[in-house]
Amino acid sequence: MSAAGVRRVVDRALEWLLITLMSLMVVNVLWQVATRFLLRNPSSFTEEIARYLLVWLGILGGAYAVGKRIHLAIDLLPTKLEGRRKAILELFIEVCIFVFAATVLGFGGSGLVWLTLDLGQTSAALQIPLGFVYMVLPLSGLLTMFYSALHGAEALNRFRAPVEAIDDGGTV
Amino acid sequence: MEWLHVLVLIVVFGALLLLGVPVAFAIGIGTLVTMLLGMAADPALITVAQRMATGLDSFALLAIPFFILAGQLMNRGGIARRLIDFAKAVIGMLPGGLAYVHILASMLFGAISGSAVAAASAIGGVVGPRMVEEGYDKDFSAAVNISSATTGLVIPPSNILIVYSLASGGVSIGALFLAGYLPGILVGLSLMVVAGFFAVRMNYPVAGAFRFSEAIKKFFSALPSLLLLVVVIGGIVAGIFTATEAAAVAVLYAGILAFLYREVRVRDLPQILLATVSTTAIVMLLIGTSTAMSWLLSYENIPQIVSAALLALTDNPVVILLIINVILLVVGTFMDMTPAVLIFTPIFLPVVTRLGMDPTHFGIVMVLNLCIGLCTPPVGSVLFVGCGVAGTSITRVIQPLLPMYVAMVAALIVVTFVPWLSLWLPAVFGF
Repeated sequence: MSAAGVRRVVDRALEWLLITLMSLMVVNVLWQVATRFLLRNPSSFTEEIARYLLVWLGILGGAYAVGKRIHLAIDLLPTKLEGRRKAILELFIEVCIFVFAATVLGFGGSGLVWLTLDLGQTSAALQIPLGFVYMVLPLSGLLTMFYSALHGAEALNRFRAPVEAIDDGGTV
Repeated sequence: MEWLHVLVLIVVFGALLLLGVPVAFAIGIGTLVTMLLGMAADPALITVAQRMATGLDSFALLAIPFFILAGQLMNRGGIARRLIDFAKAVIGMLPGGLAYVHILASMLFGAISGSAVAAASAIGGVVGPRMVEEGYDKDFSAAVNISSATTGLVIPPSNILIVYSLASGGVSIGALFLAGYLPGILVGLSLMVVAGFFAVRMNYPVAGAFRFSEAIKKFFSALPSLLLLVVVIGGIVAGIFTATEAAAVAVLYAGILAFLYREVRVRDLPQILLATVSTTAIVMLLIGTSTAMSWLLSYENIPQIVSAALLALTDNPVVILLIINVILLVVGTFMDMTPAVLIFTPIFLPVVTRLGMDPTHFGIVMVLNLCIGLCTPPVGSVLFVGCGVAGTSITRVIQPLLPMYVAMVAALIVVTFVPWLSLWLPAVFGF
């Protein structure tokens, strides 16, 4: 499969995962309200589920936003530059994202997963191993590395062939 | 030693920001590099990762994606049109009527959607062209749009006040929401005064005569949308549910309303959810890395150092509050609101509470202050959207914006030094 093909598959899978997490969050908290008012028997674990869903949504969504290039950035300099200089700057930005994803999310995140699994830390209400919750960090790290590598390769191509500079829409 | 670390943090973060690295990553990398100066790589990496995850591990924060989703559902539900019609029926008869209509509609819509950017595009996209049709200057109407769009961030429900509640270590969200009403209305009124001054001078037309029956009719048409505010704020203030539960109820309410109005179909839902996820993800990653930076600053004892330095400079509360406001205004011009609140609340809140300021009051001052930064270059998301919607440029819109900035700063000073404005409503409701 081509890089673009792989990317489409990853995009779709990630989108549906995020949509599912978001829907679960809404249903879960509405369930919490309903059990308290209608059944007068508040469920004890919905709050914990909701918090962990948000951690997953936020960290995974961060990778999705890298893929869509919608993270907030000051694009004064990138929009001023043209041709090869612009390509170099874009490459630098993607390298920064890649390095952060590899070190903090990938390395630090998996370190945290091993550490908490090793210590046997579990959540208060559901007794889920906390390592499972933190697993979203290395997962998001891998996805972020995937997207920033693709974007970096695009910038590198533009550096090599600056004449046919393609407008990629830029960041918002 | 600490100052070297802080210097490295500021230089790395600032340089990456100016080069165009996304803000969330600039904050994260700046934090990481600074930590590596003082500790081994392994604990540093694991700590940053852990702070990012635990920063999001909060039930209160869940209200943010829910309010965003409710806003998305209502945006499609023709709510902007109904609110504009209502505003027009109520205050359209004044000279320069459409300018007031614009400001009032922004206040209502901003409150409901909880997003200044959404208000700028939804209200500005409808009222802006109509103002130009009736002979208003295009840049003037863009300036009205940009400045009034931020009022909804102080008028509840407000996502940024939830972030402040978290950063301040648990100031009541209900109290913060109630505290935001009068200051938000004050900003709206100040903007109306400026707009009115220009409307009279430029001889702008009235938007229509006042007819009581028309006002009542438009009120009932806008009522279901306005009721959302009553359900959410009423529910929180009465202690029926938490802000997060209220936000989930708001999603349910907005969803039912959108389906009843037949403005949203089931097959639109995945797209609406994805749009919500995108906006949420941007905010959440910012919260994650900002939490890491905030942790680093307190690890380096920065809040204590800043507090001591400020109090050594002067013990005059007026001067200290002015200094803090000026610092925040400068920060706001280049930094987004969410990281600014997360990073600067732990630094400044201890100082102002030492001076006897109420944490609820300070939250309103801080958010009101940072709202101004959303309308100023170089980084102002509302400024960018407002210019885009109106089809004008930043350089052209700055001149009509200047008097609006003056009005907003004047309102900020009043809110800073008149605590009653923020604290009266919460006191009435027993917070």
